[in-house]
Amino acid sequence: MASLPGYNVLREQDRSHMLEKIGVDSIDQLIDFIPANLRLQQPLDLPVAMSEWQLKSHLTELASQNESADSHVCFLGGGVYDHHIPAVVDTIASRGEFLTAYTPYQPEISQGLLRVLSDFQLVVGRLFDVPVVNCSVYDGATALAESAWMAISASGENRLIVSDTIWPEHLEVLHLYMANRDVEIEMISHDESAGTCDLASLESALQQPAAAVIAQSPNCFGILEDVKTLVQKAHQKDCLAVIGCYPTSLGIIEAPGTHGADIVYAEGQSLGLPLAAGGPYMGMIGTREALIDFLPGRLVGETKDIKGEPALALIKQEREQHVRRHKATSHICSNQALMALRTLVYLSLMGESGLRRVATLSAQKAHYLCAELEKVAGISKSYQGAFFNEFCIDVPVNASKLIEKLRQQGFHAGIECSSHDNSQDRLLIAVTETKSLDTLNHFIQVFTQSLKKLS
Amino acid sequence: MNPGTTLKAARRVSVFDLSQPGLGGSGITDPDFDGEHIPDELSEFATRKNTGLPELSEVDVVRHFTRLSQDTFGVDLGPYPLGSCTMKYNPKRNDAMADLPGFARVHPAQPKDSMPGLWTLFHNLQEHLAEITGMDAFTLQPAAGAHGELTGLLTIRRHFESKKQNRSVILIPDSAHGTNPASAAMSGYICKIIPTTKEGTLDVEAMRSMLDGDVAALMMTNPSTLGLFDPNIEEIAKTLHDNGSLLYYDGANLNALMGLVRPGDMGFDVIHINTHKTLSTPHGGGGPGAGPCGVKAFLEPYLPIPVVTRNDHGEIEAQFDRPLSIGRVKSYFGHVSILIKAYCYILSNGAEGLRMVSENAVLNANYMQSSLSDLLPPVFQQRCMHECLLSGGDLDVDPFDFVKRLIDFGVHPPTLVGAGCVHFSDEYDAAMLIEPTETESLAVLDDMIAQFRKVAREVAVARYMIETAPHTTDVAKIITDEPAFLSMLEADKPCDSKSS
Ligand SMILES: Cc1ncc(COP(=O)(O)O)c(C=O)c1O
Repeated sequence: MASLPGYNVLREQDRSHMLEKIGVDSIDQLIDFIPANLRLQQPLDLPVAMSEWQLKSHLTELASQNESADSHVCFLGGGVYDHHIPAVVDTIASRGEFLTAYTPYQPEISQGLLRVLSDFQLVVGRLFDVPVVNCSVYDGATALAESAWMAISASGENRLIVSDTIWPEHLEVLHLYMANRDVEIEMISHDESAGTCDLASLESALQQPAAAVIAQSPNCFGILEDVKTLVQKAHQKDCLAVIGCYPTSLGIIEAPGTHGADIVYAEGQSLGLPLAAGGPYMGMIGTREALIDFLPGRLVGETKDIKGEPALALIKQEREQHVRRHKATSHICSNQALMALRTLVYLSLMGESGLRRVATLSAQKAHYLCAELEKVAGISKSYQGAFFNEFCIDVPVNASKLIEKLRQQGFHAGIECSSHDNSQDRLLIAVTETKSLDTLNHFIQVFTQSLKKLS
Repeated sequence: MNPGTTLKAARRVSVFDLSQPGLGGSGITDPDFDGEHIPDELSEFATRKNTGLPELSEVDVVRHFTRLSQDTFGVDLGPYPLGSCTMKYNPKRNDAMADLPGFARVHPAQPKDSMPGLWTLFHNLQEHLAEITGMDAFTLQPAAGAHGELTGLLTIRRHFESKKQNRSVILIPDSAHGTNPASAAMSGYICKIIPTTKEGTLDVEAMRSMLDGDVAALMMTNPSTLGLFDPNIEEIAKTLHDNGSLLYYDGANLNALMGLVRPGDMGFDVIHINTHKTLSTPHGGGGPGAGPCGVKAFLEPYLPIPVVTRNDHGEIEAQFDRPLSIGRVKSYFGHVSILIKAYCYILSNGAEGLRMVSENAVLNANYMQSSLSDLLPPVFQQRCMHECLLSGGDLDVDPFDFVKRLIDFGVHPPTLVGAGCVHFSDEYDAAMLIEPTETESLAVLDDMIAQFRKVAREVAVARYMIETAPHTTDVAKIITDEPAFLSMLEADKPCDSKSS
């Protein structure tokens, strides 16, 4: 008997039996309501079906062509960080029950998943210090855009005051999401020396009514913003404060919610999600109770079963597209639930003390590296503001040449900052807990030599 | 709470209940850095006293989440005929390929020429998707179906802007999924709703009467969310195109068509594919999926950046400098690991395998429909595509209760109004949308049919068993009008809601 192609499970005798039951002679007759001229006349032009071992060798070959954080020491950040992911995270996230479930529309057979999502909301709520967190949106960039829309809808104002120290990619997405929705975006500049939001620029923007002030800390230079002041200034003018954050940093840095931020958003990648060449990651949004009706995405809450016992279920669905359609808070349907599971498992493993140590180690190592690099002739820190684990340095040579040189010696040394503010000679370098002292010292040595060779 | 909770109790406890201060973060140490002292320069910011995160040992985490997984129903446990969601088997080999370190450990900000294997994969996948759907170009950026819709609609917008036409209306059939109108609104469009005929097709006359210079596009899925192929599709396409409007294909139901018919050949100009439906990437408990968006050649310049394509030297690269592009819809390059799984699925099936996927999906749905027709007559008296819409109106019991009883017999309930992801007009209130998918064998289908019949027999003899189902789950039936509260910790006040 010939092997069935792909994952098909109907044998020829099954198909005949079923066609007979339906009362047709053939598949062609089964779908004869499709106009004949539309039917494909020849097979699709696709590669010949592969066995599992052929597939493996093809994919392994493609994968082997890529450099990665395994082939090169990764000092790249830009919102995505090479933090350690405990094996337990993969073990749990690859459980078929979680992996192959749909959105928990049937709560009776989804209590495990609902518990995960509910705990995710609670744990992230703690981290952000806000009472309400949704079950995720696509990524950090769309979390920013969705948060901005929340502010617009909640306030009735259509103007946003946005810091230009937010990740450039996130800003691009924000602009696209707002482009056709009658929203005015006013960008505020940054202080070139400190590398933080320019407060004078903010104050002048606040002269006119706006829905929200939106900023990110640490910002796109790795510098921590004075979130407390930003929030206060927004609130003084009856604006909402929307703050983007780096979740790992919150192990030691004061949470945006503590400073009174109305909406807190983040890219969740640093909490147990693989680098995966850019995704899937996870957008997180937290807020105050008063803004709950404007939240996008799923929310899990507590209810009771018919015996009066506590149970979990999706709640407040009247915000969502399947109920409210064009008036929904967002179009999001499929979200990043599996990433939320990973994050919850990650944070459960870390706990209060573990996250604190991950954050502290990352900061210690980054500050060590920065201080050592600053000792090298020609290198200086680009900004004076305090940073967490990512910093900009000015180098006396062409940054892309330097990156290339270091790449040849096994380092992905940093991100060229030209896209941030048109400086040609600036590098953004991120350090995580996974870089050992030996690695850092080796990097410093190779960095110094490469600079010499280039200058 | 005793951390040694039993399986049944796992769902009742949160990770906070299991916390034992001092047990968390074991092994997060470094021989050369103490992990405690905050760098001086940072001390002004690093003032956080505590996060309030729970502290669990590794073994407690593993047990707790393993137990929770056992209180979650996935395709790996049994048939999941949830209409419109295409809950088919998700091949394990695809997961293994996506986890290869040469993909999973790539940082997206690496130099663009440091990931040629990825660009080749993207390029191949784009070409295969174009072949399967009959489109000319694809972007793999969108994160999910709804995100593909947004991308496609913004592309349509840009097309009309470049032609200096101001069109503000998107037409949407009343049976459309909620994401369609929601995405249209996010793209700045006004939605107008087209009714469905008694035969379950789009009302072409009504559509015609709504056409004017303001209509940018019609969003449609064919087969529709009623499981029917719309035979008037060419006429619909022609009428729209004559009006200067475009046709958008919601690819959520593409599982019925591979190797049989192509949206591009039907006249669609823009399409998204839900890889988590048709191309078998796992749903993950609600996501992540991916929503690649395909277009006809005239729309290609507007696709979001980056665009992966061949440059003048024949090398495949990611291009960012695309003056006509709508811009960026998300960070980086899309849901890469999901796209890898979709690519593996196509390669494992080949052309014949994919055609058979769709044939068998249609065959299975029709077999269910035929086998159940005495009990649950088809809403439309005709053969269906990959899912069938059956009426529960004759059941003499609330279909909502009926399907809950299926849970006790190992079958995930089909889609009902409010219990799945699709929208039905009120007239189909008692209808169930059953999508068995092609990965259920005849034996499994026969068993599912037997379970439907068993429940139907119970209506007369043990009605209460249905009305109070399910009985095999730790939790009892959950009804929608019970008040629900957002879970909150201590100080945070609960707020009222309905668990609709
Ligand atoms: C017909 C239809 N369109 C669109 C969508 C939205 O897709 P996604 O959940 O991937 O955003 C779905 C999924 O539920 C659907 O069934």
